[in-house]
Amino acid sequence: MTQLERQQRALLDLIKKRGAPPEDVYLRQVANSRQLTMVREIAVWWRAFQIEDQCRFTSRLLKRLECFEDVVINYFNNHRTSPFIEELSQDFLDSLRDHPDWLIRAVSQFELALLKVRADSAVCFEVLWDRNPDNLILALQEHNPLPPPEIGCLYRMQIARNLPRIVSCTREYTTHDR
Amino acid sequence: MASADKVGRARPLPALATTYEGDDPVLLERIIPLIDTIEISPDAIARSAGKQACLRLEILKEYASVLPHVNFVAHGVGLSIGSFDHWNEGYLRLLDELFESLKLEWHSEHLACTQVADENVGTMLPLPRTEEALDLICTRVEALQKRYAVPFLLEHVICLLPDMPGVYTPAGFINAITSRTGCGLILDAYNLECDVFNQGLDISAFLDELDLAPVRELHLAGGVQHRGFYLDIHSNPTSDTTLALGLDIIRRAPNLRVATYEFLKEAVVLLGHDGICNELARIRQAINNDTT
Repeated sequence: MTQLERQQRALLDLIKKRGAPPEDVYLRQVANSRQLTMVREIAVWWRAFQIEDQCRFTSRLLKRLECFEDVVINYFNNHRTSPFIEELSQDFLDSLRDHPDWLIRAVSQFELALLKVRADSAVCFEVLWDRNPDNLILALQEHNPLPPPEIGCLYRMQIARNLPRIVSCTREYTTHDR
Repeated sequence: MASADKVGRARPLPALATTYEGDDPVLLERIIPLIDTIEISPDAIARSAGKQACLRLEILKEYASVLPHVNFVAHGVGLSIGSFDHWNEGYLRLLDELFESLKLEWHSEHLACTQVADENVGTMLPLPRTEEALDLICTRVEALQKRYAVPFLLEHVICLLPDMPGVYTPAGFINAITSRTGCGLILDAYNLECDVFNQGLDISAFLDELDLAPVRELHLAGGVQHRGFYLDIHSNPTSDTTLALGLDIIRRAPNLRVATYEFLKEAVVLLGHDGICNELARIRQAINNDTT
Protein backbone atom coordinates (compact mmCIF):
# COMPACT_ATOMS: atom_id res chain seq x y z
CA MET A 1 0.00 0.00 0.00
CA THR A 2 1.41 3.40 -0.96
CA GLN A 3 1.61 6.33 1.42
CA LEU A 4 -1.10 8.12 -0.59
CA GLU A 5 -3.45 5.15 -0.35
CA ARG A 6 -2.82 4.78 3.37
CA GLN A 7 -3.51 8.45 3.92
CA GLN A 8 -6.66 8.67 1.78
CA ARG A 9 -8.16 5.51 3.25
CA ALA A 10 -7.40 6.73 6.76
CA LEU A 11 -8.92 10.18 6.14
CA LEU A 12 -12.07 8.58 4.75
CA ASP A 13 -12.31 6.40 7.86
CA LEU A 14 -11.89 9.45 10.09
CA ILE A 15 -14.56 11.39 8.21
CA LYS A 16 -16.91 8.41 8.42
CA LYS A 17 -16.08 7.80 12.09
CA ARG A 18 -14.92 4.23 11.67
CA GLY A 19 -11.82 2.13 12.05
CA ALA A 20 -9.21 1.99 14.77
CA PRO A 21 -7.63 5.18 16.12
CA PRO A 22 -4.75 6.10 13.81
CA GLU A 23 -1.11 5.66 14.85
CA ASP A 24 0.35 8.04 12.27
CA VAL A 25 1.29 11.40 13.77
CA TYR A 26 -0.49 13.48 11.13
CA LEU A 27 -3.64 11.37 11.21
CA ARG A 28 -3.71 11.57 15.01
CA GLN A 29 -3.55 15.34 14.68
CA VAL A 30 -6.49 15.22 12.24
CA ALA A 31 -8.46 12.86 14.47
CA ASN A 32 -8.22 15.28 17.39
CA SER A 33 -8.85 18.44 15.38
CA ARG A 34 -11.87 20.69 15.32
CA GLN A 35 -11.31 20.88 11.56
CA LEU A 36 -12.32 17.23 11.22
CA THR A 37 -15.53 17.96 13.10
CA MET A 38 -16.24 20.75 10.61
CA VAL A 39 -15.49 18.55 7.59
CA ARG A 40 -17.88 15.90 8.93
CA GLU A 41 -20.52 18.53 9.59
CA ILE A 42 -20.27 19.89 6.04
CA ALA A 43 -20.41 16.41 4.49
CA VAL A 44 -23.52 15.53 6.49
CA TRP A 45 -25.07 18.96 5.88
CA TRP A 46 -24.90 18.44 2.11
CA ARG A 47 -26.48 15.02 2.37
CA ALA A 48 -29.20 16.36 4.68
CA PHE A 49 -29.88 19.23 2.31
CA GLN A 50 -30.30 16.90 -0.66
CA ILE A 51 -32.39 14.39 1.28
CA GLU A 52 -34.66 17.12 2.58
CA ASP A 53 -35.23 18.34 -0.95
CA GLN A 54 -35.88 14.93 -2.51
CA CYS A 55 -37.50 12.95 0.33
CA ARG A 56 -39.90 15.52 1.69
CA PHE A 57 -42.38 13.32 3.54
CA THR A 58 -39.75 11.18 5.20
CA SER A 59 -37.65 14.20 6.14
CA ARG A 60 -40.64 15.95 7.65
CA LEU A 61 -41.59 12.85 9.62
CA LEU A 62 -38.04 12.37 10.90
CA LYS A 63 -37.90 16.02 11.91
CA ARG A 64 -41.28 15.70 13.63
CA LEU A 65 -39.86 12.73 15.52
CA GLU A 66 -36.70 14.78 16.27
CA CYS A 67 -34.35 12.23 14.75
CA PHE A 68 -33.63 13.62 11.26
CA GLU A 69 -30.05 14.65 11.94
CA ASP A 70 -29.16 11.41 13.74
CA VAL A 71 -30.65 9.31 10.95
CA VAL A 72 -28.75 11.22 8.26
CA ILE A 73 -25.47 11.02 10.21
CA ASN A 74 -25.96 7.30 10.69
CA TYR A 75 -26.73 6.92 7.00
CA PHE A 76 -23.66 8.93 5.93
CA ASN A 77 -21.30 7.07 8.24
CA ASN A 78 -22.49 3.61 7.27
CA HIS A 79 -23.28 3.80 3.56
CA ARG A 80 -21.46 4.53 0.35
CA THR A 81 -23.30 7.72 -0.50
CA SER A 82 -23.82 8.45 -4.17
CA PRO A 83 -22.91 11.85 -5.62
CA PHE A 84 -26.08 11.61 -7.73
CA ILE A 85 -29.12 12.96 -6.01
CA GLU A 86 -31.54 10.37 -7.42
CA GLU A 87 -29.37 7.52 -6.21
CA LEU A 88 -28.71 9.19 -2.88
CA SER A 89 -32.39 9.75 -2.13
CA GLN A 90 -33.46 6.26 -3.18
CA ASP A 91 -30.62 4.63 -1.28
CA PHE A 92 -31.39 6.71 1.81
CA LEU A 93 -35.05 5.71 1.73
CA ASP A 94 -34.10 2.10 1.11
CA SER A 95 -31.83 2.22 4.16
CA LEU A 96 -34.94 2.84 6.28
CA ARG A 97 -36.63 -0.34 5.02
CA ASP A 98 -35.96 -2.16 8.30
CA HIS A 99 -36.20 0.80 10.65
CA PRO A 100 -37.66 -0.27 14.00
CA ASP A 101 -40.26 2.51 13.90
CA TRP A 102 -43.29 1.26 11.95
CA LEU A 103 -44.29 4.73 10.79
CA ILE A 104 -40.83 5.67 9.52
CA ARG A 105 -40.74 2.39 7.64
CA ALA A 106 -44.11 3.01 5.99
CA VAL A 107 -43.51 6.65 4.99
CA SER A 108 -40.01 6.00 3.66
CA GLN A 109 -41.10 2.96 1.62
CA PHE A 110 -44.11 4.86 0.29
CA GLU A 111 -41.86 7.71 -0.82
CA LEU A 112 -39.31 5.31 -2.29
CA ALA A 113 -42.06 3.57 -4.27
CA LEU A 114 -43.27 6.94 -5.58
CA LEU A 115 -39.76 7.88 -6.72
CA LYS A 116 -39.30 4.54 -8.46
CA VAL A 117 -42.69 4.60 -10.19
CA ARG A 118 -42.10 8.16 -11.36
CA ALA A 119 -38.77 6.95 -12.74
CA ASP A 120 -40.83 4.47 -14.77
CA SER A 121 -40.40 1.31 -12.69
CA ALA A 122 -42.84 -1.40 -13.80
CA VAL A 123 -42.95 -2.91 -10.31
CA CYS A 124 -46.12 -2.75 -8.21
CA PHE A 125 -45.08 -1.74 -4.70
CA GLU A 126 -47.09 -2.47 -1.55
CA VAL A 127 -46.92 -0.55 1.72
CA LEU A 128 -48.92 -1.34 4.86
CA TRP A 129 -50.06 1.44 7.17
CA ASP A 130 -51.38 1.38 10.72
CA ARG A 131 -53.38 4.57 10.14
CA ASN A 132 -55.06 6.33 7.24
CA PRO A 133 -52.17 7.35 4.94
CA ASP A 134 -54.13 10.24 3.43
CA ASN A 135 -54.54 11.84 6.82
CA LEU A 136 -50.93 11.20 7.70
CA ILE A 137 -49.49 12.69 4.49
CA LEU A 138 -51.82 15.68 4.81
CA ALA A 139 -50.63 16.22 8.39
CA LEU A 140 -47.01 16.10 7.24
CA GLN A 141 -47.70 18.49 4.39
CA GLU A 142 -49.55 20.98 6.55
CA HIS A 143 -47.48 20.57 9.70
CA ASN A 144 -50.50 19.38 11.67
CA PRO A 145 -50.43 16.82 14.53
CA LEU A 146 -49.97 13.28 13.25
CA PRO A 147 -53.07 11.05 13.38
CA PRO A 148 -52.82 8.18 15.88
CA PRO A 149 -52.66 4.49 14.82
CA GLU A 150 -56.09 2.91 14.22
CA ILE A 151 -56.46 -0.17 16.36
CA GLY A 152 -57.98 -3.17 14.62
CA CYS A 153 -57.36 -2.21 11.03
CA LEU A 154 -54.60 -1.70 8.52
CA TYR A 155 -54.36 0.06 5.21
CA ARG A 156 -52.92 -1.83 2.26
CA MET A 157 -51.53 0.60 -0.29
CA GLN A 158 -50.34 -0.22 -3.79
CA ILE A 159 -48.14 2.07 -5.86
CA ALA A 160 -47.75 1.26 -9.55
CA ARG A 161 -47.48 3.19 -12.76
CA ASN A 162 -50.46 1.41 -14.34
CA LEU A 163 -52.90 2.41 -11.58
CA PRO A 164 -55.21 5.26 -12.61
CA ARG A 165 -53.77 7.64 -10.01
CA ILE A 166 -50.54 5.73 -9.35
CA VAL A 167 -51.70 4.95 -5.79
CA SER A 168 -54.60 2.86 -4.51
CA CYS A 169 -55.42 1.93 -0.95
CA THR A 170 -57.87 -0.36 0.84
CA ARG A 171 -58.72 -0.64 4.52
CA GLU A 172 -58.72 -4.10 6.07
CA TYR A 173 -60.05 -5.07 9.49
CA THR A 174 -57.74 -7.17 11.57
CA THR A 175 -60.06 -7.94 14.54
CA HIS A 176 -63.45 -9.65 14.64
CA ASP A 177 -65.28 -6.87 16.48
CA ARG A 178 -64.91 -4.54 13.47
CA MET B 1 -1.20 41.79 -0.93
CA ALA B 2 1.50 42.55 -3.44
CA SER B 3 0.58 45.32 -5.78
CA ALA B 4 1.21 44.74 -9.44
CA ASP B 5 2.61 46.81 -12.19
CA LYS B 6 0.12 47.95 -14.76
CA VAL B 7 1.05 44.98 -16.88
CA GLY B 8 -1.07 43.71 -19.68
CA ARG B 9 -2.89 46.95 -20.31
CA ALA B 10 -2.89 46.17 -24.03
CA ARG B 11 -4.41 42.73 -23.60
CA PRO B 12 -8.17 42.29 -23.81
CA LEU B 13 -10.30 42.47 -20.69
CA PRO B 14 -11.15 39.08 -19.26
CA ALA B 15 -14.47 37.71 -20.37
CA LEU B 16 -17.12 37.49 -17.67
CA ALA B 17 -18.59 34.08 -16.89
CA THR B 18 -21.01 32.65 -14.42
CA THR B 19 -22.42 29.37 -13.31
CA TYR B 20 -25.67 28.15 -14.82
CA GLU B 21 -26.93 24.66 -14.05
CA GLY B 22 -30.30 24.71 -15.76
CA ASP B 23 -33.98 24.61 -14.81
CA ASP B 24 -34.29 28.37 -14.47
CA PRO B 25 -34.90 29.84 -17.96
CA VAL B 26 -35.88 33.21 -16.53
CA LEU B 27 -32.49 33.50 -14.86
CA LEU B 28 -30.76 32.35 -18.03
CA GLU B 29 -32.53 34.99 -20.07
CA ARG B 30 -31.54 37.67 -17.59
CA ILE B 31 -27.87 36.75 -17.30
CA ILE B 32 -27.15 36.24 -20.99
CA PRO B 33 -26.84 39.97 -21.81
CA LEU B 34 -24.47 40.38 -18.85
CA ILE B 35 -21.96 37.61 -19.53
CA ASP B 36 -19.68 36.24 -22.22
CA THR B 37 -19.25 32.68 -21.02
CA ILE B 38 -21.22 30.05 -19.11
CA GLU B 39 -19.46 27.68 -16.76
CA ILE B 40 -21.02 24.22 -16.88
CA SER B 41 -20.47 21.58 -14.25
CA PRO B 42 -21.21 18.26 -15.99
CA ASP B 43 -21.88 16.56 -12.66
CA ALA B 44 -24.50 19.14 -11.77
CA ILE B 45 -26.53 18.68 -14.94
CA ALA B 46 -26.45 14.89 -14.88
CA ARG B 47 -28.97 12.37 -13.75
CA SER B 48 -28.48 8.80 -12.78
CA ALA B 49 -29.73 6.44 -15.47
CA GLY B 50 -29.40 2.94 -14.13
CA LYS B 51 -25.78 2.16 -13.51
CA GLN B 52 -24.54 5.04 -15.62
CA ALA B 53 -25.15 8.76 -15.35
CA CYS B 54 -26.01 10.90 -18.34
CA LEU B 55 -26.50 14.58 -19.02
CA ARG B 56 -30.04 15.93 -18.84
CA LEU B 57 -31.16 16.67 -22.37
CA GLU B 58 -33.50 19.45 -21.35
CA ILE B 59 -30.58 21.40 -19.86
CA LEU B 60 -28.41 20.81 -22.91
CA LYS B 61 -31.25 22.31 -24.94
CA GLU B 62 -31.21 25.38 -22.69
CA TYR B 63 -27.51 25.84 -23.44
CA ALA B 64 -28.08 25.28 -27.13
CA SER B 65 -30.72 28.00 -27.11
CA VAL B 66 -28.16 30.64 -26.11
CA LEU B 67 -25.34 29.31 -28.28
CA PRO B 68 -24.86 32.34 -30.49
CA HIS B 69 -24.50 34.66 -27.51
CA VAL B 70 -22.00 32.96 -25.21
CA ASN B 71 -19.03 30.62 -24.98
CA PHE B 72 -18.89 27.62 -22.69
CA VAL B 73 -16.33 26.14 -20.34
CA ALA B 74 -16.69 22.92 -18.34
CA HIS B 75 -15.77 22.81 -14.68
CA GLY B 76 -15.94 19.40 -13.06
CA VAL B 77 -16.46 18.40 -9.48
CA GLY B 78 -16.42 14.63 -9.55
CA LEU B 79 -13.39 13.51 -11.56
CA SER B 80 -11.43 12.89 -8.38
CA ILE B 81 -8.16 13.31 -10.18
CA GLY B 82 -6.23 12.74 -6.97
CA SER B 83 -7.64 9.39 -5.86
CA PHE B 84 -4.87 6.92 -5.17
CA ASP B 85 -6.47 4.14 -7.22
CA HIS B 86 -8.25 5.65 -10.19
CA TRP B 87 -10.22 8.65 -11.24
CA ASN B 88 -13.97 8.59 -11.77
CA GLU B 89 -14.48 7.26 -15.28
CA GLY B 90 -18.19 8.10 -15.02
CA TYR B 91 -17.32 11.79 -14.91
CA LEU B 92 -15.36 11.50 -18.15
CA ARG B 93 -18.35 9.90 -19.85
CA LEU B 94 -20.37 12.97 -18.88
CA LEU B 95 -17.63 15.21 -20.19
CA ASP B 96 -17.53 13.26 -23.46
CA GLU B 97 -21.26 13.84 -23.80
CA LEU B 98 -20.83 17.54 -23.15
CA PHE B 99 -18.07 17.80 -25.74
CA GLU B 100 -20.37 16.11 -28.25
CA SER B 101 -23.10 18.68 -27.54
CA LEU B 102 -21.22 21.96 -27.18
CA LYS B 103 -18.01 23.60 -28.21
CA LEU B 104 -16.03 24.09 -25.01
CA GLU B 105 -13.19 26.59 -24.71
CA TRP B 106 -11.52 24.44 -22.06
CA HIS B 107 -12.36 22.09 -19.22
CA SER B 108 -11.16 22.06 -15.67
CA GLU B 109 -11.26 20.11 -12.45
CA HIS B 110 -10.35 20.53 -8.80
CA LEU B 111 -6.95 19.42 -7.59
CA ALA B 112 -8.51 17.05 -5.11
CA CYS B 113 -9.83 13.65 -4.24
CA THR B 114 -13.59 13.14 -3.87
CA GLN B 115 -13.68 9.37 -3.76
CA VAL B 116 -11.49 6.79 -2.11
CA ALA B 117 -11.64 3.17 -3.26
CA ASP B 118 -14.89 4.01 -5.09
CA GLU B 119 -16.44 5.48 -1.97
CA ASN B 120 -17.67 9.07 -2.02
CA VAL B 121 -15.76 11.08 0.60
CA GLY B 122 -18.52 13.67 0.92
CA THR B 123 -16.08 16.55 0.54
CA MET B 124 -13.01 17.51 -1.49
CA LEU B 125 -9.78 16.35 0.06
CA PRO B 126 -6.69 18.27 -0.99
CA LEU B 127 -3.63 16.22 -1.90
CA PRO B 128 -0.43 15.88 0.06
CA ARG B 129 2.31 17.88 -1.65
CA THR B 130 4.56 14.88 -2.21
CA GLU B 131 6.44 13.41 -5.16
CA GLU B 132 4.03 10.49 -5.19
CA ALA B 133 0.99 12.74 -5.53
CA LEU B 134 2.78 14.90 -8.08
CA ASP B 135 3.59 11.91 -10.29
CA LEU B 136 0.02 10.66 -10.09
CA ILE B 137 -1.51 14.04 -10.95
CA CYS B 138 0.88 14.73 -13.81
CA THR B 139 0.26 11.33 -15.39
CA ARG B 140 -3.49 11.91 -15.27
CA VAL B 141 -3.28 15.49 -16.52
CA GLU B 142 -1.27 14.27 -19.50
CA ALA B 143 -3.88 11.59 -20.19
CA LEU B 144 -6.61 14.25 -20.16
CA GLN B 145 -4.60 16.44 -22.49
CA LYS B 146 -4.32 13.57 -24.95
CA ARG B 147 -8.01 12.72 -24.67
CA TYR B 148 -9.44 16.19 -25.30
CA ALA B 149 -8.32 18.74 -27.85
CA VAL B 150 -8.86 21.78 -25.62
CA PRO B 151 -6.77 23.02 -22.68
CA PHE B 152 -7.19 21.47 -19.26
CA LEU B 153 -7.08 23.62 -16.13
CA LEU B 154 -6.67 22.68 -12.49
CA GLU B 155 -8.13 24.59 -9.55
CA HIS B 156 -6.72 24.51 -6.02
CA VAL B 157 -9.28 23.69 -3.32
CA ILE B 158 -9.60 25.03 0.19
CA CYS B 159 -7.85 23.09 2.87
CA LEU B 160 -9.93 22.59 5.99
CA LEU B 161 -8.09 19.71 7.62
CA PRO B 162 -4.68 20.35 9.17
CA ASP B 163 -2.06 20.81 6.45
CA MET B 164 -0.61 17.50 5.28
CA PRO B 165 3.09 16.82 5.50
CA GLY B 166 4.77 17.31 2.13
CA VAL B 167 7.92 18.39 0.39
CA TYR B 168 6.51 21.27 -1.65
CA THR B 169 5.07 24.61 -0.68
CA PRO B 170 1.45 25.17 -1.84
CA ALA B 171 2.62 27.28 -4.80
CA GLY B 172 5.64 25.07 -5.45
CA PHE B 173 3.43 21.99 -5.84
CA ILE B 174 1.20 23.76 -8.38
CA ASN B 175 4.25 25.10 -10.22
CA ALA B 176 5.65 21.58 -10.47
CA ILE B 177 2.39 20.36 -12.05
CA THR B 178 2.09 23.20 -14.55
CA SER B 179 5.75 23.13 -15.56
CA ARG B 180 5.74 19.38 -16.06
CA THR B 181 2.43 19.09 -17.92
CA GLY B 182 1.80 22.52 -19.42
CA CYS B 183 -1.74 22.51 -18.03
CA GLY B 184 -3.56 25.70 -17.14
CA LEU B 185 -4.77 26.99 -13.80
CA ILE B 186 -7.85 28.48 -12.21
CA LEU B 187 -7.17 30.74 -9.27
CA ASP B 188 -10.10 31.10 -6.90
CA ALA B 189 -9.80 34.33 -4.97
CA TYR B 190 -12.31 33.24 -2.33
CA ASN B 191 -10.62 29.87 -1.83
CA LEU B 192 -7.35 31.69 -1.22
CA GLU B 193 -9.03 33.89 1.37
CA CYS B 194 -10.41 30.79 3.05
CA ASP B 195 -6.90 29.36 3.28
CA VAL B 196 -5.60 32.65 4.66
CA PHE B 197 -8.24 32.59 7.39
CA ASN B 198 -8.36 28.85 8.11
CA GLN B 199 -4.72 27.88 7.52
CA GLY B 200 -2.75 31.09 7.83
CA LEU B 201 -1.69 31.01 4.16
CA ASP B 202 0.66 33.88 3.34
CA ILE B 203 -1.10 35.07 0.23
CA SER B 204 1.58 37.51 -0.87
CA ALA B 205 4.24 34.85 -0.66
CA PHE B 206 1.94 32.39 -2.42
CA LEU B 207 1.24 34.71 -5.33
CA ASP B 208 4.87 35.79 -5.55
CA GLU B 209 6.03 32.18 -5.76
CA LEU B 210 3.26 30.93 -8.07
CA ASP B 211 3.96 30.96 -11.79
CA LEU B 212 0.97 33.01 -12.94
CA ALA B 213 1.48 32.48 -16.67
CA PRO B 214 -0.66 29.30 -16.73
CA VAL B 215 -3.61 31.05 -15.03
CA ARG B 216 -6.43 31.24 -17.56
CA GLU B 217 -9.41 31.73 -15.30
CA LEU B 218 -10.26 33.54 -12.08
CA HIS B 219 -13.04 32.40 -9.78
CA LEU B 220 -14.93 34.87 -7.65
CA ALA B 221 -17.53 33.89 -5.07
CA GLY B 222 -18.88 34.67 -1.65
CA GLY B 223 -19.02 31.97 0.98
CA VAL B 224 -20.07 31.67 4.58
CA GLN B 225 -18.42 31.82 7.98
CA HIS B 226 -19.42 29.06 10.36
CA ARG B 227 -17.98 28.13 13.77
CA GLY B 228 -14.81 30.06 13.16
CA PHE B 229 -14.18 28.77 9.63
CA TYR B 230 -14.46 30.32 6.20
CA LEU B 231 -16.32 27.78 4.06
CA ASP B 232 -16.51 27.55 0.28
CA ILE B 233 -20.27 27.29 0.19
CA HIS B 234 -20.80 29.73 -2.66
CA SER B 235 -24.01 31.41 -1.65
CA ASN B 236 -23.26 35.11 -1.32
CA PRO B 237 -22.13 38.09 -3.35
CA THR B 238 -18.38 38.54 -3.62
CA SER B 239 -16.98 40.52 -0.72
CA ASP B 240 -14.95 43.65 -1.39
CA THR B 241 -11.77 41.94 -0.21
CA THR B 242 -12.31 38.96 -2.52
CA LEU B 243 -12.98 41.26 -5.44
CA ALA B 244 -9.85 43.28 -4.66
CA LEU B 245 -7.78 40.10 -4.56
CA GLY B 246 -9.37 39.00 -7.83
CA LEU B 247 -8.45 42.29 -9.48
CA ASP B 248 -4.90 41.91 -8.26
CA ILE B 249 -4.75 38.45 -9.83
CA ILE B 250 -6.14 39.82 -13.10
CA ARG B 251 -3.39 42.44 -13.16
CA ARG B 252 -0.67 39.91 -12.47
CA ALA B 253 -1.74 36.92 -14.55
CA PRO B 254 -0.79 37.75 -18.14
CA ASN B 255 -2.85 35.01 -19.80
CA LEU B 256 -6.01 35.24 -17.73
CA ARG B 257 -8.97 35.15 -20.10
CA VAL B 258 -12.09 34.60 -18.00
CA ALA B 259 -13.36 35.80 -14.62
CA THR B 260 -16.19 33.64 -13.31
CA TYR B 261 -18.70 34.52 -10.61
CA GLU B 262 -19.67 31.20 -9.07
CA PHE B 263 -22.75 30.42 -7.03
CA LEU B 264 -24.53 27.26 -6.08
CA LYS B 265 -27.81 26.46 -7.76
CA GLU B 266 -29.24 26.00 -4.28
CA ALA B 267 -28.28 29.60 -3.47
CA VAL B 268 -30.31 31.19 -6.26
CA VAL B 269 -33.26 31.50 -3.93
CA LEU B 270 -31.08 33.39 -1.43
CA LEU B 271 -29.30 35.59 -3.94
CA GLY B 272 -32.34 36.22 -6.12
CA HIS B 273 -32.20 36.90 -9.84
CA ASP B 274 -31.73 40.62 -9.18
CA GLY B 275 -28.92 39.89 -6.78
CA ILE B 276 -27.11 37.68 -9.29
CA CYS B 277 -27.51 40.21 -12.09
CA ASN B 278 -26.36 43.06 -9.85
CA GLU B 279 -23.33 41.03 -8.85
CA LEU B 280 -22.39 40.32 -12.45
CA ALA B 281 -22.73 43.99 -13.32
CA ARG B 282 -20.68 44.96 -10.27
CA ILE B 283 -17.85 42.57 -11.16
CA ARG B 284 -17.84 43.71 -14.79
CA GLN B 285 -17.70 47.33 -13.66
CA ALA B 286 -14.89 46.64 -11.22
CA ILE B 287 -12.82 44.88 -13.89
CA ASN B 288 -13.45 47.63 -16.42
CA ASN B 289 -12.57 50.37 -13.96
CA ASP B 290 -9.44 48.61 -12.83
CA THR B 291 -8.02 47.77 -16.21
CA THR B 292 -8.86 50.79 -18.33
